[in-house]
Amino acid sequence: MKKAPTVITGTVGMDAHVIGTKVLSRALRDAGFNVVELGMQVSPEEFINVTQETNADAILMSSLYGMAELDLKGFNDKLMEAGLRDVILYIGGNLVIGRYDPKEAEVIFKKLGFDRVYPPEADIDAAIIDLKNDLKTKGKM
Amino acid sequence: MKKLRIRNKKIDDDLLMKKRREELDKWPTGKEVDFDEAVAYQKSLPDSKIWWKVMVKLREEGRMSVFPRAGTPILENMIELCRGLRDSGVVLIPVTTDSYTRLGQFEKVEEILKECNSTGKALLNGYPIINQGVEKTRKLIESIDAAFSPRGAGGEIAIASGMTTAEAGMGFLNFGSYSKNMTIQELVESSQNGMRVIGWYADRGVILCKDLHGWLPSAPFPLSVNIVCLIIEAVTAAEQGQKALYPLVHCMGNMVQDLAWIRLAPRLIREYLDKFGYQDTMIIGTCPAQTPLFPVAMDMGGAFAYLCYASMVGALSKSNAVDLRSIDEGAGVPTKDTNAVSYRAAKWIFDVVREQQIEIDVKGIDTEEKVTETEVRAILDRILDLGDGDIVDGTVKAVESGVLDSPWSPNLNVKDQVMGVRDARGACRYLEFGNLPIPDEIKEFHREKIAEREKLEGRKADYHTAIKDLWGLSKGKIAGLPPYDK
Repeated sequence: MKKAPTVITGTVGMDAHVIGTKVLSRALRDAGFNVVELGMQVSPEEFINVTQETNADAILMSSLYGMAELDLKGFNDKLMEAGLRDVILYIGGNLVIGRYDPKEAEVIFKKLGFDRVYPPEADIDAAIIDLKNDLKTKGKM
Repeated sequence: MKKLRIRNKKIDDDLLMKKRREELDKWPTGKEVDFDEAVAYQKSLPDSKIWWKVMVKLREEGRMSVFPRAGTPILENMIELCRGLRDSGVVLIPVTTDSYTRLGQFEKVEEILKECNSTGKALLNGYPIINQGVEKTRKLIESIDAAFSPRGAGGEIAIASGMTTAEAGMGFLNFGSYSKNMTIQELVESSQNGMRVIGWYADRGVILCKDLHGWLPSAPFPLSVNIVCLIIEAVTAAEQGQKALYPLVHCMGNMVQDLAWIRLAPRLIREYLDKFGYQDTMIIGTCPAQTPLFPVAMDMGGAFAYLCYASMVGALSKSNAVDLRSIDEGAGVPTKDTNAVSYRAAKWIFDVVREQQIEIDVKGIDTEEKVTETEVRAILDRILDLGDGDIVDGTVKAVESGVLDSPWSPNLNVKDQVMGVRDARGACRYLEFGNLPIPDEIKEFHREKIAEREKLEGRKADYHTAIKDLWGLSKGKIAGLPPYDK
């Protein structure tokens, strides 16, 4: 049997909203993942460093305060520089300030390198199924 | 009885002045603050700009105002936003700062603010008060006839600009809700290192008001821990010279509990202020607050209902203010128009219901009030025991040992061994008591109430019940009755 995939969770930037990432972490653990839970206010650099240290397969970021795009300026390039081109990247939450169309947010964050972009109150179980499928496609599960 | 006291390291006036200047020197706009001129400016303000006087006037006249949240980075747009609030009947106006300002990242703010001003876009999630400085912020305050309160940051720039609230004492919000690594000892040090700025102003005849938040109940959870923290915040603020206070009471959506807690919180705060010798600190009102998770952006009907629920609780409890967000809370930062429509709805309830001066006398409220009061007294007694009469020492030990504890905290130094769920009627109960010193008969009361829900749902309440309850109120369903069409 392959070893359980390692995933990193956390709320990016200066955002203190933590409940979403706590619930997600618990659900991922229940689903058999090895979860490295970074909690709130995690810098993009910390995500990258911890991914390198733990050889993680995926990063699942949360953001609720609308400034994720500012926090993640150049994130894709930094990932490439760190040699993490292969890591699966998800983000979810309130990703833009104001009342916005989730489809617009999806375009913005896919450009930043994210594989999947989730709106607020997305179904966690469905996201975990997505993650398993994406890991299988990459031969990591 | 043990002598009640508050540990405090008083510093001398020279050191106080030096520390105040150091704080202001963190950004060039600090130079715009001249302490004596700030006192003179505060004294020149009309009563309609002085927070505590506005709250007392509302209470005396049997009226209420929304206390909203609003902040946008560009000065002209901020003035427009606040003018819109005033036009919707709001006389208590917030200046919500952006998240970077709250964390002192002024250089980053400066860069983004420049981009905001050149593109006209609101790229920050609030008004960057420090970078804007005194001169510009006075323009905002002089443009609108209402009282202003800085939210999140502001310090003496806010005071010098003519805002009339300021924070002294221990703020559990910073420790329990917004910080990842702060220890309770660090909270004590940051709040008690004798800054005494509020006292300095009070000595010169300027009374700055403060709202008490306590440790936020981040999810359905009985309010006793929060009320204990309101009391700790009140006495530590009073010790530093704060003369006007009012509690926010976090409404969790069960109306009987919410009304009971609104009655209980100011009563117990008054009692403990008096016990500690602060008879001259005024409690100038009560402000119910809509705290649990807000409906999603797409659910406009739910958003309105949620705001109107809190407004109704405020009106029925004869409060003088209600802490409300707008229908855009789920979407992020509100626009002028969504603020206007939200606060007109609230004002409708204030004018129609509040002014009826309804007397509410319900046995259920008495029971909830008694239960919470017993819990609050039990926790506070243990805190004073742990501190040998010193409430601050006791609080440090209580947090470290989980005698004071709250669920879902982002802070790694919190025990987080407690958990709340709703009962069959949607009231908040303790599922896990952790180390809270709740008396046995009260524990039994909670268990019985949870058992009623378990019977209705045919399953034991556990962690998954608590998770489901996170969304209960925002989705508009907190009681145990199954949906009509099932």
